[in-house]
Amino acid sequence: MSILEYNGGAIVAMVGKNCVAIGSDKRFGVQLMTVSTEFPKIFPATDKTFIGLPGLATDIRTLSERFRFKINMYKLSEEREIEPRTLAHLVSSTLYERRFGPYFVEPIIAGLDKDNQPFICGMDLIGCINFAKDFVVAGTTTDSLFGVCESLWEPDLEPEDLFETVSQSLLNAVDRDSLAGWGAVIHVVTPERVITRTLKTRMD
Amino acid sequence: MFLTRSEYDRGVNTFSPEGRLFQVEYAIEAIKLGSTAVGIQTSQGVILAVEKRVTSPLLVSSSIEKIMEIDSHLGCAMSGLTADSRTMIDHARVEAQNHHFTYNEKIKVESVTQAVCDLALRFGESAHGEESIMSRPFGVALLIAGIDEKGPQLYHADPSGTFMQYDAKAIGSGSEGAQTELQEEYHKSLTLQEAETLSLKVLKQVMEEKLNNTNVQLAAVTPEHGFRIYSEDELQAVIDRL
Amino acid sequence: MNPVILYNNDTSANVPVEAPVERQFYPYADNGGTSLGIAGADFCLLASDTRKSSGYSIHSRYSPKAFKLTEKAVLATNGFAADGLALTKSLCQKLEWYKHAHDKEMSTPALAQMLSNTLYYKRFFPYYTFNLLGGIDDQGRGIVYSFDPVGSMGTELCRAGGSSAALIQPFLDNQVGLKNQQGAQQTPLSLESAIRITKDAFTSATERDIYTGDYLEIFIIRQEGVTVERFDLKKD
Repeated sequence: MSILEYNGGAIVAMVGKNCVAIGSDKRFGVQLMTVSTEFPKIFPATDKTFIGLPGLATDIRTLSERFRFKINMYKLSEEREIEPRTLAHLVSSTLYERRFGPYFVEPIIAGLDKDNQPFICGMDLIGCINFAKDFVVAGTTTDSLFGVCESLWEPDLEPEDLFETVSQSLLNAVDRDSLAGWGAVIHVVTPERVITRTLKTRMD
Repeated sequence: MFLTRSEYDRGVNTFSPEGRLFQVEYAIEAIKLGSTAVGIQTSQGVILAVEKRVTSPLLVSSSIEKIMEIDSHLGCAMSGLTADSRTMIDHARVEAQNHHFTYNEKIKVESVTQAVCDLALRFGESAHGEESIMSRPFGVALLIAGIDEKGPQLYHADPSGTFMQYDAKAIGSGSEGAQTELQEEYHKSLTLQEAETLSLKVLKQVMEEKLNNTNVQLAAVTPEHGFRIYSEDELQAVIDRL
Repeated sequence: MNPVILYNNDTSANVPVEAPVERQFYPYADNGGTSLGIAGADFCLLASDTRKSSGYSIHSRYSPKAFKLTEKAVLATNGFAADGLALTKSLCQKLEWYKHAHDKEMSTPALAQMLSNTLYYKRFFPYYTFNLLGGIDDQGRGIVYSFDPVGSMGTELCRAGGSSAALIQPFLDNQVGLKNQQGAQQTPLSLESAIRITKDAFTSATERDIYTGDYLEIFIIRQEGVTVERFDLKKD
């Protein structure tokens, strides 16, 4: 078994019309045993950008702190918020620094840039970025997520429709994965505000 | 040049010049020495009734078993050398269980009858010289009753391995008289209750002893309860209707 | 097995050394491909793509793996194509025997049970196939059975099998089983909807799974019999 699947978890991000959405499950487990159902995997980077970290729980916590540090340092030295695309490269180079002893996470970044243009990307555990125009998925539920997202996603969804699409994709995918689920969190980022909702899922 | 019949009596698998297998014919004759058994098919189910020859007042009549269950939807009455029927009924039961195991459905009445008849001619020596299971033909005939997707059915299987479907059939020593009586009384709209009484009425006419609830056995196969042998009380109730 | 004789370079010790040679043969392959079954009230839909591949190469763009077994049942075999074909052949033979022995066509539930047994009889050298059996039962209702390679059997409303099973199954749960849809009424699924969902599922799977594509065959089983429709999928 891969160490990337040790704790379980699923994250998906999608692009809508002038908005993006990112969602994750809330499970933290040790192989098949569920330990917690309140484990955060998505972290705010700026007011309009989120970073999702599925993978090994210990690395999620380490990296979330390291990225918080790096984002704050960027803000202090540059005197501006970091752009999602810049953040993607920051994350990528941080991971590539550990090319031969990697952090076991496959980050996903979703946000709006300074012109409120949607941006999403995913990457592998050593920082190879996948700039997608539609959706990105990561975690133990990737196959299922790819299937549903490919079927349910369509271009130019309004925030509420995008929320529904992300929710349905995530919920139905994690219901078929024993390592993910037990509740979900969805963030929809619009130019005006961020809509955050917690969802109930089946608990088995 | 003119050979007597007895010379062809020897080999169980030898045809006589007239094209007959005497041992098989004798086996069929053996049935006529057996106690009478009757089967009647109606649209509501099939009735099986047999005479039990209680040859001594010291004989425990309930130990004479001439009606047996093959599966929950299949029953069988016999006449002749009833010991021979053990092999056949064992085979029928295995075949029924096997069918259920393989297909998760009940075996057809015709299929189980065919399976029993496949055994009938496996006597004597086989062509390749391997061991065969029996030295002589079966000396027993069966009335196989059951219900499947085609409804209630009654089959008669004899030692030659031939089987035929009947609306009503009698076998055994009293079969000639009983069959005539059945032919007169049988009609398509017979109810199960009428068939119960008819079967006992027919037995009563051909039995030497006076019919009572210990010297006959009655069973039915119905869609509701499947195969069921009547208790002494239930049997008495039918006798009282005669 | 013939031992290879190795000669020592040292001429003073010119003694042949025997070393055992290992050879191996792996009797299984994965030929990919995807199937899907949906049970309706009075119909059953069974669909398969027709690509047959091994690793990165496509052996055939049209090599069907779904077969009509009776007038009321269709079998889709995924996994190892050779085993799928052998299994189908053996089932067809058993069906013929059954017809002669019992003078009737085998019902779909009986066929399902027989398939389960057939797979289990090879418990220790299994047919490497993931089977879906779609058909209508004795009451004319649609029914889908799914099997693992050693004969575990389950009945389902909808099921995806094969290389894209994980991609399609949650989509079917959502669109056919109406899972995670609050207040949705379970109305009888129409054949038109089932076909539409099937096509959507396969075009999506074809996008992301290299083992699925080329053509889609949809079998529709109704009381009147079996019909097949063929559609194009992407060939890349």
